[in-house]
Amino acid sequence: MKDFEPRIIGFLCNWCSYAGADAAGSARKIYPPNVKVIRVMCTGRIDPQFVLKAFQSGADGVLILGCHPGDCHYKEGNYNALRRFHLLRTMLAQFGIEKDRVRLDWVSASEAEKFVATVNDMVKKVKILGPLRKTAVA
Amino acid sequence: MRSRIGVYICSCGTNISENLDIDQLVRFSSGLENVAYVKTHALLCSEDGKSHISDDIIKEKPDRVVIVACTPKEHEKTFRNVLQKAGINPYLFQMVNVREQVAWVTADKQTATEKAKAYIRAAVRRVALHEPLEKREIDCNPDVLVIGAGPAGMEAALTLAKAGRKVFLVEKNSFIGGRVARYEEVFPKLECASCMLEPKMDEMLHHENIELLTNSEVREVLGFLGNFVARIQKKAGFVDREKCLGCGACYEQCPVTVRNEFDYNLSDRKAIYVPYTGALPNVPVIDTKNCLRFGDSGSSTYREAYELGLITLEEYEMFRNQDCSKCRDACSFDAINYEDTDEIVERNIGGIVVATGFDLFDPSVLSQFGYGSIPEVYTSLEFERILAQTGPTGGKLLMANQKEPRSVAIIHCVGSRDRNNKEYCSAVCCLYALKYAHMIEKHAPEVKVYDIYADWCVPGKDNQEFLDSVAGWKNLHFIHTKLPMNIAIQQADSTIALSCVDLAGKKQEFSADMVVLCPAMIPAKDASALSDILLISRGKDGFFTEGHTKLAPVSTNIEGIFIAGCAQGPKDIQSSVAQASAAAGQLLSLLVPGRKLELDVITAEIDEKACAECRICIGLCPYKAIVLDREKKVAVVNTVLCKGCGTCVAACPSGSAKSRHFTTQQIFAEIEEVLK
Repeated sequence: MKDFEPRIIGFLCNWCSYAGADAAGSARKIYPPNVKVIRVMCTGRIDPQFVLKAFQSGADGVLILGCHPGDCHYKEGNYNALRRFHLLRTMLAQFGIEKDRVRLDWVSASEAEKFVATVNDMVKKVKILGPLRKTAVA
Repeated sequence: MRSRIGVYICSCGTNISENLDIDQLVRFSSGLENVAYVKTHALLCSEDGKSHISDDIIKEKPDRVVIVACTPKEHEKTFRNVLQKAGINPYLFQMVNVREQVAWVTADKQTATEKAKAYIRAAVRRVALHEPLEKREIDCNPDVLVIGAGPAGMEAALTLAKAGRKVFLVEKNSFIGGRVARYEEVFPKLECASCMLEPKMDEMLHHENIELLTNSEVREVLGFLGNFVARIQKKAGFVDREKCLGCGACYEQCPVTVRNEFDYNLSDRKAIYVPYTGALPNVPVIDTKNCLRFGDSGSSTYREAYELGLITLEEYEMFRNQDCSKCRDACSFDAINYEDTDEIVERNIGGIVVATGFDLFDPSVLSQFGYGSIPEVYTSLEFERILAQTGPTGGKLLMANQKEPRSVAIIHCVGSRDRNNKEYCSAVCCLYALKYAHMIEKHAPEVKVYDIYADWCVPGKDNQEFLDSVAGWKNLHFIHTKLPMNIAIQQADSTIALSCVDLAGKKQEFSADMVVLCPAMIPAKDASALSDILLISRGKDGFFTEGHTKLAPVSTNIEGIFIAGCAQGPKDIQSSVAQASAAAGQLLSLLVPGRKLELDVITAEIDEKACAECRICIGLCPYKAIVLDREKKVAVVNTVLCKGCGTCVAACPSGSAKSRHFTTQQIFAEIEEVLK
């Protein structure tokens, strides 16, 4: 299991978290390559189907990062994301998908440090969980 | 779907090439479906790089482009412009961020190159699904509706009018000037308020571009930025503004006397009246509720008037069931028209400024302050009238019994900074409390003043000096308490007994003939009705919410509607006027006569055929950009208002809502490709 490299999709909102990820780059902070970022304008755009699609396509984890509560560029998109996230996690548990495989967090445009810490933590946790498709592991 | 995609890879000097194997990326990209060619360049965003792309596009004729470089937040616009000029729709383009999110953050070159490949694969697949999006423009109306004719509303109206815009200034009262019309002096310079305000009022009243609608209220606003229609109710005032000279002959003759709410019921007025001497416009109005002619003739008002000796029995009998016309008879200018009726007028505008001001927190809900039960306990606004020369006492510091008080207690933070009432500080009370100290001292230097405060809030360049100016006054006693909420106020025989615990824990007991409370500023009473009409959001304390606390302090959630002054939050006159200028400035740059409005292209759209009319999207949209088409029974996105966040799209159960440029198919394609 030590060699298992999880595949994680990161949905980042354009205004805060994507900029936060860029800030981590500008600061040359090194972090694992496991999280593949997909930019959306707002976490409110994240249809629960995106998360299901990611798992179906082979992701071992999904990370959703948006603006801090109260800072949403679109006022309340992140609150909608939060509500959907809680419902989705409940549903995923019924599919046997552990709750640590989906994470929603807030990363502002200036939080390079937090972005890196969140990615590191996510990768670490999913590594411990192992691959989502147990059969895929030789 | 066959397409001809051109891929451009930037080395960004060595920023990208240092940690990515560019040759590998070129070979990899060339092998991807639909990729016609791959080119590299040392610095694509440079002038040389940009012309390299456009020359190349003319030669290679790709139908879509992928640029592998830095973050789209830095150069997406740059490259969109390049493509546009080269004849490619700027949305048939996708940028891959291999600098900030790959080269600069990945430990080794090969790992970074592999990560970049996944991103390029996703972009190539995604761009093939892109649709060309066309820039859209609409005509806009540069005229503006301003709601509220206090200092903020007047400033906004004048600023816009001077730029040649037509302004419709709606004021619900019969007079302009807002709360400031009630003040005698203003802090910190103790300047005469009417000397300050009147030139502005005159200028406003005579400005040819401003239509002032007094006694009027906005009832309905339809439309969107650049194209609003406002329906305004003009209440009948029964006095012709053109004919009336403001001589006052009519109200001298009016037999009815009632309390004057302008003076917070501390004085009387007639049923035809101007609220105070010097009110502008100087045109009286008839208060139909209390007028003998219009009022309910059986109403207690007249009986009360008779019982109070304000009218004789003869007059009471005479007018009770008759049409009184004393005011009309007294008018030599034929200005009074009893046939006047309310009318609804429509005005077309492009933008709106909301400057509806504030009210005061009602201190009667906090029994410890005795407001409402102890006669000589006043709110600050009532006290302003007592100090005003146009007020009930002609500007003399007098109690209700017409005697001068020997002592006055001023209490800060009434209902403010308290979790159970209003949590915020109103930012002006400390300063007007100091103003009162100055004014009382000027009226009657021997009057003792007790100032009970919790903290001093005197920010800004002149205000500390204002606080320092009262230091050492022998008749001014400051009592520093933890929070004046804990004070106890009771009527003693001929005076008022006050007690509180000061900061040292010592119980302070003293008496005052008069008590002035400084209650929290709260939004104007009609803010809630107005937010329903305009669909602009309010925060937890009821003030209208600004677009961004710092960077968009006067915008709202509805584009084209701006807020200024105390409608946005408690503040002083200076800040209110500054916000009004800001709101006017925003509108001047947003709505330019003859210029069309350029609209966002990345918006939502709803497929009529699939929409099931569930209305989930309507409730979710933070911009009120989705409405129900009742005839077609479908939700429709107003793309002028839509900002493209996609919240409605994610929520749509039928899949009929679509995010342009962020379609589900495009995002699914990215998901699949990065995971391959």
